[in-house]
Amino acid sequence: MDTGRLRNNYGAEGAVMLKMFIQLLGKDLALFRRYVYMALIYGVLCGLTVTVLVPILTQLLSGNLPAAVPWLVVLLIGIATCWGLRRYVEQAGVRVGVAVLQGGRHRLGEHVARLPVGWFTPSNTARLSHVATQGMMAVAQLPAHVFTPVITGVVAPVIIIIALFVLHGPLGLTALVALPLLAGVFFLTTKLARRADNAFQRHFADTSQRVVEFAQAQSVLRAFSGESGSTRFLEKAVAKQHRSGVRLACLSALSALLNAWTVQVVFAVLLVVAMLGMNIHLGGTLTEENIIGATIALLLVSRLIDPLLEVANYGEVLRSARGQLDEIHHILSATPLPEPRAPRSPCSAAIELRDVHFRYAPREPAVLNSVSLYIAPGSMTALIGESGSGKTTLARLIARFFDVERGSILIGDVDVRQMSSVHLASQISQIFQDNYLFTGSIADNIRIGKPDASDAEMTEAAHQAGVSEIIERLPQGIDTQVGEGGARLSGGERQRIAIARALIKNSPILLVDEATAALDAENQAAIAEVLAQLRGHRTILVIAHQLSTVAMADQIVVLDGGQIVEQGSPEQLRASQGRYAQFLSQRQAAKGWRITQDDADGACS
Amino acid sequence: MSTNTPLTQSKNPIRQVLGPIRGRLIIAALLASLGTMLTLVPLAGIAHIANILFANADTTKLTIGHIETEIWWTVIASVVCVFVGMALMLAGELTAHLADNRMTHYLRLAVIQRLAQVPLGWFTSRASGEVKQAMQDDIATLHSLAAHFYTAVGRASGALLVSVIYLFALDWRMAIIALLPLPGFLLFLRRAMQSSDVNMHEFVTRLERINSTTTEFVSGIPVVKAFGVNGQAHSNYQKAVDDFAQAFDRFTRPLVALMAHAHAMVTPVTVLGLALAVGTLFIAIGWMTPVEILPFVLVAPGICAPLLLLHTLLHDLGSAAGAAQRVLALLETPILEQPNHNQQQLPSGHEIRFESVSYAYSDSHRALSNINFTLKPGTVTAIVGPSGAGKSTLAKLLLRFFDPTQGCITLGGVDLRHLETSALYRHIGFVLQEVRLIHASIRDNIALGRPSASQQEIEDAARAANIHERILALPHGYSSVVGEDVQLSGGEQQRVSIARAILLDPPVLVLDEATAATDAGNEVAIQEALSRFTQGRTLLVIAHRLDTVKHADQILVLDNGTIIEQGSHQHLLAQRGLYTRLWTLGDYATITEPKVPSC
Repeated sequence: MDTGRLRNNYGAEGAVMLKMFIQLLGKDLALFRRYVYMALIYGVLCGLTVTVLVPILTQLLSGNLPAAVPWLVVLLIGIATCWGLRRYVEQAGVRVGVAVLQGGRHRLGEHVARLPVGWFTPSNTARLSHVATQGMMAVAQLPAHVFTPVITGVVAPVIIIIALFVLHGPLGLTALVALPLLAGVFFLTTKLARRADNAFQRHFADTSQRVVEFAQAQSVLRAFSGESGSTRFLEKAVAKQHRSGVRLACLSALSALLNAWTVQVVFAVLLVVAMLGMNIHLGGTLTEENIIGATIALLLVSRLIDPLLEVANYGEVLRSARGQLDEIHHILSATPLPEPRAPRSPCSAAIELRDVHFRYAPREPAVLNSVSLYIAPGSMTALIGESGSGKTTLARLIARFFDVERGSILIGDVDVRQMSSVHLASQISQIFQDNYLFTGSIADNIRIGKPDASDAEMTEAAHQAGVSEIIERLPQGIDTQVGEGGARLSGGERQRIAIARALIKNSPILLVDEATAALDAENQAAIAEVLAQLRGHRTILVIAHQLSTVAMADQIVVLDGGQIVEQGSPEQLRASQGRYAQFLSQRQAAKGWRITQDDADGACS
Repeated sequence: MSTNTPLTQSKNPIRQVLGPIRGRLIIAALLASLGTMLTLVPLAGIAHIANILFANADTTKLTIGHIETEIWWTVIASVVCVFVGMALMLAGELTAHLADNRMTHYLRLAVIQRLAQVPLGWFTSRASGEVKQAMQDDIATLHSLAAHFYTAVGRASGALLVSVIYLFALDWRMAIIALLPLPGFLLFLRRAMQSSDVNMHEFVTRLERINSTTTEFVSGIPVVKAFGVNGQAHSNYQKAVDDFAQAFDRFTRPLVALMAHAHAMVTPVTVLGLALAVGTLFIAIGWMTPVEILPFVLVAPGICAPLLLLHTLLHDLGSAAGAAQRVLALLETPILEQPNHNQQQLPSGHEIRFESVSYAYSDSHRALSNINFTLKPGTVTAIVGPSGAGKSTLAKLLLRFFDPTQGCITLGGVDLRHLETSALYRHIGFVLQEVRLIHASIRDNIALGRPSASQQEIEDAARAANIHERILALPHGYSSVVGEDVQLSGGEQQRVSIARAILLDPPVLVLDEATAATDAGNEVAIQEALSRFTQGRTLLVIAHRLDTVKHADQILVLDNGTIIEQGSHQHLLAQRGLYTRLWTLGDYATITEPKVPSC
């Protein structure tokens, strides 16, 4: 049947959206279903009420006024019912909106809280922020503002077509044939516009990136602007965006026009069919009955076209709604870290990697390749290697930022995947580069590591991490508010508070990324102090940068290209004249470097 | 230029932004309006046909030919009107879209030009988000205003106008009845607006709260997970979500009923029913014939859609005003004063003097006060001091990221404020800790300051910066696009940025010594490159490790924004002041001078 194809075209898009709503709403789906049913009923009722005009006008035009009155009553009842129902449809729509804003947001929150830490890249975080705020808001308003008019706009014409069939066979048939045609054209024009839209969005994103670059790299751009001005890269991007904007304008105007034209062509054809039909009926004379029939059929046709035109107008809105839902879907589809059914506890603070393989995405090159390593409880291991050798990844895998591709990581003989995430977190303190602080005081932020910490413990941790100096400088001391995301403190200060936060946690394993953490001299000193104090008391894995750190280690592991190339105590490795020895000499040279060249102890020249 | 004249606050921001394209937009609206009117002709056509038919009902075959011609002419005229109308509407849409694209393009360019002149200090990390918001998102919001609003108003008012005139021309009594739902709609709408005002404040506050709480929750998840606590941020988020849902519910609930009434009022079914019911009455009392109510049944329901459209668009207008305001604010950002042509001076030599320089970020917080020193050509000066002492602020003043609040800085006897920006940076180059590469090929990145440099010159600079070999090893060599074809490590980026500075060959160099974030191999390569590059130049070094600069000609010890000690390494050690304390703290003395490694 032709209507089947119509449903398929719209249906495909509708089904995808429905699926996304199911994913977003979870147990609140019943609300959505209820709303859709009500909107459908409302649409049918509207369509039916409109068809009542057929008997009324027939009677009126035939001059039979009294016979029209009962139908008029039916019409008024129909209108009253539609009026009342409309309110319930809107309320149901709002309820779906609230469910999205409440249940959907909770679901999103719970979902992302279970995602691996590694998922939180800057771009994913930005995306998530946007989805959780504006995205959800837009989706919540979809039922009331978009779905209701679209659903009724599609349903009512179907009812009217049925009425047309009864009233005027040829017109009904024509309208029926026209519907899938219309759907086909809508589908095509949507595709056309979407293509231009995608291109525009791409250029828009490029330009946005350039704008951020323009702002962030302004010092460099301006300092190196000698011949050509600092704006040429951005201006080029803007010009490209402008061109694709023109294209989009033309294409979307064209597609909107095509939609409307198709509807109007259908209208014209129906008009002509009605006229031709009349000729057939004419036979000899124009009977009043025929004229009435044809007139009312035309009236129905105009009622049919109106809602269809309205639906055609919603194409662009529906397209952007689809985009919002896609974004939500993307985030909800990210796989959370599986939690074990029967979590186990580690029996010691030993770390072991067994034949670990890892890559960030299926088609990307391996970052770690068959790495096996044992770190005895209470020992200190220094990890060195060039940037890109896999040091950071290795440390992150131990904290289960991601799960390994092959092999396993064990803590105290228990696979990290067999431990509950809370328990694993309690075993490990991390001093990495992410130093996000929460709104609140410095004390609040340090206490995150140990909510029930005593004042003495706080002072101790603050002292160890070099936070005492910061506190002394501030009039409100440890109760100073750090601002949103720690914005009121400098990067180095935030880093030190993050160190204190990690220290007060007092967990048996400490992971330190010195290369990124040691931003300035004070922080380097703070970390060196921490390491010296905790050495022997904790299992320590440090991505080492300072010579003093390396010298402290019980074991040194040299990574290269995702594999361990050297391993042993500092003495052993120094003697072997391998990569570690080379590292040492480079570090020595760097340490001995002087900015001024006129001295004998300058660098190689 | 309009960007340089202060814009009056009283002027409507939207009007200001749309000013240059207003003419086109009005034409677009007129086209759309005219087009819509034409597309409504078929409805009148149908009514006309019905009229003809009923007038000739039960006539004989003789007249049929005549009627038929008239009917066909009506059909043809209707169809032609529809298509011409659609063409006009398309022309209107296109005009509006193109005008909008033109406006947004010029706004973007204007913002770029403006921002290229504001003080560098304005570009904090926060600013990049704001700039992006205004330049991309806000201007995109203005798009929907310029591209859609005017034509929509044209369409809606065209449809309303032609319908009203047509109906009144037919029968004024019936016209009044058929249009009654219109004021009803407006009445309910007004009441809805009033009732929303009551809860608006709470709604907006909650909206702001959920936005900031969400940001904190999302950014804090990695931290929360690392500490295994079910974080405060998560419960804050949950609470904000619940509160907001509640506020949203409270905000919309009274609206729902009113809006439902308003919408039901202008549903085609209602308008149709009203026309039919009253029509029947009019027929009964003999005011009208049945055929005469047909046009009302046909045309009156058509006013519903444009009315709703207008309402939706008015709703959007609010957000557009805010967007226009932000864009205009950006266009009024204060700019660094550029010297007039007659004020412009050429520096003689390149001695740099700081004369009683003070700088305050805000009124309360003084970052630097009363700084005096001289950089003699060819000498090395180091700035040391605890973090927060003002070291980088001092360097940034010299690079004119901002201007001093008091005192002045001179280059070759000329105040920096009287130097053209490009002239300043021809004299003073910098290699800062924060490296910024541009999303472009490595060649473009090195030649950023001198796009006309030859390949040979670029390669020489890269060689001097110790990065040439690495670049050659890349799949596309110098054409590799940073961030796309190749991810450079921090140290490699630093070397590219050194090559960039080398190519400009400035006599004065500001250097941030910290290389802590790079691995050992890179650090040596960077140091070698710097050693070569700094040879024979005037050097200002922000030092993080005191031993690196112990041989500097002069060392400035900064604390709390003032120079508290000044002199050579030996001289400062003898003073037993802050420098001596820092030196002991850094444990440099215990490290024996290493032997020079063989290369």
